Amino acid sequence: MSSETTIDEKSSETVETKPEIAKKEITPVVEPKFEKSLAEKVVSKFGTIVTIGFIKPNRIRINAKKENILDVATFIRDELNFDHAESVTGVDYPKSKEIEVVYHLGSYTEPQLAKQVLTLATRVPREDIPNPGHDSTRMPSLRDVFYSVEFHERECFEMLGVYFDGHPDNRRLLLPEDWADIPPFRKDFGIKGR
Amino acid sequence: MSSIAPEFRLSRFVASLTDLIFWVIVIFTLIGLPIVFILLFYIKLPVIDDKLLTPYLALTWLADPSRTLPIIKSLMHTDFFRITTFPGFGFAALLAAGTIYIERKFLAKMQLRVGPLYCGKIEGILQLMGDGLKLISKEIIIPAKADKPIFWVAPLLFVGTAAAFISLIPVAPGWVVADLDVGLLAVFAVIGFFPIITILSSWSANSKFPFIGGIRALHQMVSFEIPLILSLLGIVILTGTLNLTEIVESQQHYWWIIFMPIGAIVFFTTILAELERIPFDLPEAESEIVAGWLTEFSGMMYGLVQLGSYLKLYAFAALFTILFLGGWNGPMIWPPFPQEIITEGIKMGPITMHVPGLPLLDQEMLNGTLWFTIKTIGVILVILLPRGVFPRIRIDLLLHTGWYKLIGLSFVNIFIALALVYAGVLGPGGLIQ
Amino acid sequence: MITPLPPGIQLEKVDDRIMTLNVGPQHPGSGHMRLIIKVDGDYIVSCDPDPGYVHRGEEKMAEYRNYIQNIPHLERPVIHDSCNILYPYCLAVEDLLGLEVPERAKYIRVIASELNRCVYTLYWLAIYGIFLGHSTMFMWPVGDREFCIDLLEAMSGARVTHAYFVPGGVRNDLPANFEERCLRQIDYFEKRLKQYEDIFYQNPVLKQRTEGTGVLSRMDAIRLGTTGSVLRSAGVDFDVRKKEPYDVYDNLDFQTQVLKEGDSYARSRVPYLDMLESCRIIKDALKKMPKSGSVRTKLKPNPKGGNDEVYRRVESGRGSLGMYVVSDGKPEPYRVKISVGSFRNLICMPYLLKGEKLGNMPAVYWSLNYWPVEADR
Repeated sequence: MSSETTIDEKSSETVETKPEIAKKEITPVVEPKFEKSLAEKVVSKFGTIVTIGFIKPNRIRINAKKENILDVATFIRDELNFDHAESVTGVDYPKSKEIEVVYHLGSYTEPQLAKQVLTLATRVPREDIPNPGHDSTRMPSLRDVFYSVEFHERECFEMLGVYFDGHPDNRRLLLPEDWADIPPFRKDFGIKGR
Repeated sequence: MSSIAPEFRLSRFVASLTDLIFWVIVIFTLIGLPIVFILLFYIKLPVIDDKLLTPYLALTWLADPSRTLPIIKSLMHTDFFRITTFPGFGFAALLAAGTIYIERKFLAKMQLRVGPLYCGKIEGILQLMGDGLKLISKEIIIPAKADKPIFWVAPLLFVGTAAAFISLIPVAPGWVVADLDVGLLAVFAVIGFFPIITILSSWSANSKFPFIGGIRALHQMVSFEIPLILSLLGIVILTGTLNLTEIVESQQHYWWIIFMPIGAIVFFTTILAELERIPFDLPEAESEIVAGWLTEFSGMMYGLVQLGSYLKLYAFAALFTILFLGGWNGPMIWPPFPQEIITEGIKMGPITMHVPGLPLLDQEMLNGTLWFTIKTIGVILVILLPRGVFPRIRIDLLLHTGWYKLIGLSFVNIFIALALVYAGVLGPGGLIQ
Repeated sequence: MITPLPPGIQLEKVDDRIMTLNVGPQHPGSGHMRLIIKVDGDYIVSCDPDPGYVHRGEEKMAEYRNYIQNIPHLERPVIHDSCNILYPYCLAVEDLLGLEVPERAKYIRVIASELNRCVYTLYWLAIYGIFLGHSTMFMWPVGDREFCIDLLEAMSGARVTHAYFVPGGVRNDLPANFEERCLRQIDYFEKRLKQYEDIFYQNPVLKQRTEGTGVLSRMDAIRLGTTGSVLRSAGVDFDVRKKEPYDVYDNLDFQTQVLKEGDSYARSRVPYLDMLESCRIIKDALKKMPKSGSVRTKLKPNPKGGNDEVYRRVESGRGSLGMYVVSDGKPEPYRVKISVGSFRNLICMPYLLKGEKLGNMPAVYWSLNYWPVEADR
């Protein structure tokens, strides 16, 4: 892969401003109050079951175990008023033999929460030779909690091979019906020539 | 040396040509000429200038151009000419072709486009011919499980029925193919054929989208035929005749649209529905059912259906003109034929050409045809107009319109007609006329 | 919705009444997707959307290219809205790399984004017109789209796939006399939009046909997680530009367009009203924009992010468009997820089409502001 990009060289005529990475590191990270109070509500309810990934302006990340994910999601929906999922992402971590499933939750009903996106993440075991739907890569579906995850979870199932227990419609969505390779978004599925 | 025909020899080419000419002459003299004479034996030949038109006489006249006009004149009064050329198919097909071109240009102007532009150098005037050639040269594909005889015959039936409709239309005084006393009833009967042909073709295609389209067409046509018939009853009541020529003659002073605007509106709406034009093009709704009952037609079969539908468009517009806009009636604007050509002949310098048999067509007929054509084209333009303005309507709204609103309105129209007759304003022995 | 059988007629199976229609992918009313529709007479019993015919694995491709190389191919899902789909990516990468964007670049981004929203919405509106059989409404927006495309061409050099936004600003400065040209064309554009109102939105046949069809209630819209015009037409006041302002949207003067009805007509009208607001935004942004200055922060060669993840979202033509970028300290992102509005609105389709008439299918389907290529990614 080429290290230099041609686009960079073109803009050398414009006034240069230094990248501000160094400056940002010096300023102490202040955790925003509102977001912190939300995260603390979850922690006070579930204790050590959940961990807080990060608290940034408008963004909170909560990690949960896959056994408890239904309870945590129900609590988030009922008590914190997050009412829909924006996306469900699967991230493959072959080194730790885990696949992370990330739910980005938002709220339409609560005006205060309109700018918040709560990231609810959990990890499921990953098998080297996947057999989607029949191996240990499975977790409970959040479809009964957040209705909007229906198609997102279908996509996650076909792309990462994570089976969602309790999902009513675990069929292929985007991939063709006769796809016989491993789930394509896993890291060991390589692109030709790369 | 050309690489396309590497073994080309001029001598062989010439030999093949002479071979061809020889065989043509042999076959023509041995088979063609006898057939011509046998046919001529059975056909009743016209008498021109007190002489029976035998083939030899016809050929003699062909050799003398100044004497061909009487033959043409006599031909123009045969039924064959009427069916194929003037008030019948040829005239209608010419107007239909003009309609397609006008529609495309007209719609293009409405939508800030240019329309057909390149084919034929001048404003794409030959575009239609190009489209026709394309359709003829395309392969005809028939679905594997189609009911083949019916599927084949449906487009032909469609064009045939449209041509039958045209034969009932009087264009000028005396110029009509079939001058029936029950002309309007015959029109209703012919219109009644179209849904049958539609459902036959869609059913025989054995495919889902044509089936839905055919059912839609059936619903639409059946539900709109009733207001169509009812809306014309008012005119029958006022004129007391079903003959289309007499209906036109009854409008010498007043057009019926003045007394029956409601009937005209109802009839116009039903025309749009019968013709499957936007906003009533549900049987061909592209985004819902591909092309409706035309989905499986390909090549010239599709071309025939299109030809039939444009013939139908012309026929309905002509019917509207005849019934509501006074047909061929109009002020005499056609110039009279110059008398000196008949008496003195055409002078070109030292040569004087004397042409017997002029004028070919009388002034009244030409004037009538002109007014009829102008009015019909006007109606066609109004039929084309909604295509640029309206979206497609839905089937339940369509049926609601047909069964509730239009039938009610056409009854109102009949009551108006009856009131006019009983009040003594119109009709036999009325105040007007 | 199976209508009860009339007494006297006995059918062997209920399935005999039902016909399956494959709407797509080679159907003029489907786009690059398939809808498996079951009809009972004229009523749709069930609808099963089957997208994926144009799935290209953009997310997978992004894992193999560095942050700058990802720009041109990430806009491919929606080439008609290419600025808006790059916007969240640039915002996310700027957060990851800690870049500051010059003030002028922020305004240029807003102008380009709003122009691109108009381009997309006009194209969408054109297809909505032809889906309803209104051919004039197909030709007019496609013609007027050229003016916006010309403006974007003057800005970026490309007509459709601009690749104009880069992390740290925009690729190049505006051309000379851009402001007068832009204002002139926006004035013309606003005049044309009023004519659209007359011929399309106030058309009695259109109103008859789309009003009250495919009604999505407010609670359903929230529960199904819809976004963009579908959400706003159902009475939920949510626009990312207002609720979570990015770049300079909090300085600009505009309103969120919300309708209450939730039917096909309202869903088709909200994007149109958005276009009018876009014109306001562009005018305001041109007024408030700094007249000169840098438009791009220079990047280090082959920039690397930390061990971090960012989720940023913007309001695109089809609703909230989010980019989730995970970095593991390499020049390439570890995972990029594009959360697109089309995919989120797709879930409405089975719910809205059930029980509708077959004739309403195109009206409901395209009013969902669904772009099949974007949903497949």
